Amino acid sequence: MSVHRVTGLARVISAGVLSIGMLFASGVYADDPVTLTLYNGQHEATGKAVAKAFEEKTGIKVLIRKGGGGQLANQIAEEGERSPADIIYTEEAPPLIKLGSQGLLAKVDPSTLKQIDPKFSDNNGNWLGITSRVRVLAYNPDLITEAELPSSVLEVADPEWAGKIAFVPSSGEFLGQTAAVISLNGREAAEEWLTGLKAFGSTYTNNVVAMKAVENGEIGAALVNSYYWTALKKEKGELKSKLHYFADGDAGGLSSVSGAAVIKASKHPKEAQQFLAFMISDEGQKAILSKSAEYPVNPNVPADPLLKPYDQLKPPAITAAQIGLAEDALELQREVGMN
Amino acid sequence: MQPQAVTPDLPLPAAGHASRRRKSPPIWLQLPVLALLLVAALPLFFVVARAAETGFAEAFALLWRPFVFGLLANTMKLMVLVTIGCAVIGLGLAWLVERSDLRWRRHWNVLLCLPFAIPSFVSGFTWVSMSPMFEGLGGTVLVMVLSKYPLIYLPVVATLRSLDPALEESARMLGLNRRQVFWQVTLPLLRPVLMATSLLVAIHMLVEFGAPSIMRYQTFTTAIYQQFELEFNGNNAAMLSALLLALCMILLWGEFRLRGRGYARTGQGVARSAAPVRLGRWQVPAQLILLVLVIIGCGTPLTMLAFWIIEGSSASFPVAEIIQTLWASLSYSFGGALLSCLLALPVCLVVVRYYGRMATLADRLPYLLHALPGLVIALSFVFFALGYMPVLYQTSILLLIAYALLFMPMAQGPIRVALEKASPQLEEAARTLGHTPIATFLRVTLPIISPAIGAGFVLVFLDCMKELTATLILGPTGLETLATKVWSHTGNLEYAGAAPYAALIVLVSGLPVYLLTTRAYRHKAG
Repeated sequence: MSVHRVTGLARVISAGVLSIGMLFASGVYADDPVTLTLYNGQHEATGKAVAKAFEEKTGIKVLIRKGGGGQLANQIAEEGERSPADIIYTEEAPPLIKLGSQGLLAKVDPSTLKQIDPKFSDNNGNWLGITSRVRVLAYNPDLITEAELPSSVLEVADPEWAGKIAFVPSSGEFLGQTAAVISLNGREAAEEWLTGLKAFGSTYTNNVVAMKAVENGEIGAALVNSYYWTALKKEKGELKSKLHYFADGDAGGLSSVSGAAVIKASKHPKEAQQFLAFMISDEGQKAILSKSAEYPVNPNVPADPLLKPYDQLKPPAITAAQIGLAEDALELQREVGMN
Repeated sequence: MQPQAVTPDLPLPAAGHASRRRKSPPIWLQLPVLALLLVAALPLFFVVARAAETGFAEAFALLWRPFVFGLLANTMKLMVLVTIGCAVIGLGLAWLVERSDLRWRRHWNVLLCLPFAIPSFVSGFTWVSMSPMFEGLGGTVLVMVLSKYPLIYLPVVATLRSLDPALEESARMLGLNRRQVFWQVTLPLLRPVLMATSLLVAIHMLVEFGAPSIMRYQTFTTAIYQQFELEFNGNNAAMLSALLLALCMILLWGEFRLRGRGYARTGQGVARSAAPVRLGRWQVPAQLILLVLVIIGCGTPLTMLAFWIIEGSSASFPVAEIIQTLWASLSYSFGGALLSCLLALPVCLVVVRYYGRMATLADRLPYLLHALPGLVIALSFVFFALGYMPVLYQTSILLLIAYALLFMPMAQGPIRVALEKASPQLEEAARTLGHTPIATFLRVTLPIISPAIGAGFVLVFLDCMKELTATLILGPTGLETLATKVWSHTGNLEYAGAAPYAALIVLVSGLPVYLLTTRAYRHKAG
């Protein structure tokens, strides 16, 4: 009887070993024929949409690894030569700038780069701008009257805004904005601003949550990127909350880009460059905009009519390169105990 | 939810067996134990290596900043409040069910364990989806207390049931009233089990990730994850991990000091059951309290889940995606459970059949593993895989090893009990009849303990289904499980999108765990 049982158990074990083996194999030998690996630090739905459109057009399969932009850049840096990633796509430029400075990115095809305004991409051709957007104040008119709306982002750190202003200290966007405040208004003003925000503002874990909190009337206003509002508008139809654009040239209206790059260690550089070119093609941009209402870098593709037209915006003249890695900004955020 | 943990008092081997235990285990048993120990030490090496890389001055600066003090305060608040809440509720309920003439107590005993069926990150999301007022400390404490009190309730019930009422009766005869008896006799008798289980809840609070982060309450784990996502270098996350690890080890040390303390009962045999205390006019209020507890503990999350499923199905119900995700969850859990059992077996053999330093190490290993935060294990695995074992990086194997490390303690519980019951005389008989040690193991020991291996397998399997942190960080590119789906949808407040996955977790994994644990307790209590 015991022998019988042992064979039963042995069968279960061997089936298990086999299935583990298959799991392992599916992870390792999946890249035959060409499968691209995309490290997606952009919103999940956006990354998926453009990858799917690319697959449909070219038949090249794209595997997606989702993570934070900084996390994925850090991962690629540690992976070095062995990185399984072919492309990285991030919500903000700093992770790409970091990878570029470490020499981990391949140059973007010049033919791709020249299709769009050079101000959106890297000066050295390490990465390609995909979409742009501006920082705004999303507010709920039930809680904040138009008369109360500030002209400068510095004002929302004043005591009058206690309990009314939401921000996301753990986001790259907010870090970029902090860097812009430092560069436009000086370190001292920036420190005062962060201290005020920490004391009077409410922190949220991500921008989608902050935006919904404003819409639901849990908090008066939030510092977010414009597309969080448009995305919610598309989901719900009618919105109570509105967008407020800060005065021309104010750090509150900072313009920034999402971007993508080909990893130097990529085993499929040709297909990876093809993917980048697709991202700024008409089809690629439409796929991206279907999930995220940003300003397209491709001038042939119209921006969402819900957005204030791009040429009417007067963001401060700070480029992604000037913001760089925003290390000062992180240091300052830490000094005031925000991060 | 770690059911093995609710049975901290594993039966000791009988004195006769102990003398028959062999001294040092053979190498093929030592190796798996040593390998596990080595892997379990990786988180420690990881934080030290990172600190050295950063430079110790810089590392200290990263630790000594206002933000970290805030995290420490937040984590402590959550830990203390939840532990006290669980202890009060667990003790109160156990007394009501075990020692009073509460009506329908059998039914209540079953109902009160139902929160075990709902992972805390699922109930967390159902509460915040109802109203944002449940965000923050208050809501997190509410959700955590409601989902963790069975960790205290079940062992206290079992202890109360096995207590000899003679002690309490003597105290009564010596002139103490009922209240005095409770405070001066019963409570001190329960103190060891209360302390041990409270420490366990405290450790759970230190390593808890999903619920606080969904409920917008920042603790060490949520901050480590955020820094990991935001930053270019992992040093900051590593330094925060070091602090978290230190806190866990302090609690672990406390657990070691408390373990094994009990009270001695004179006389042999099974304890009589105590005469129940009459509730009288308190019967109705007691019933109401229990009813309210069950309603807020289970009714609310289940109702909200149902609401979101109905709400969401009007839009779209991605059946293909759901099935694919379920399949991924099932296959990874299968692998994790298998590996956990394969590793638990040698550990249990060394503990039960041998003595000496190796046996002591193996004996303590599960407790050590239990106090390691999944998040820190995952981060250290990334670090070591990239640096030293690139072949494993981003493969299923690495995730399965993490599962095994996290859940081996759960598998070893039943296997160890079964091994202790299996008499070594049978093995000796087989040896004298000419079997080799391996043949003896395969033909004698294994058949005896295979049901226990099955039980351990099921427990680990079900817990893997709910694992979130290691899966998020270590999963191969493109892997999506039920738990990570719930996580990514709730991160964007897509409650309707998260609901079907959450419901599947409760159905496929929560309910069976609940049945297994409550049944184990009923058997144990006789």
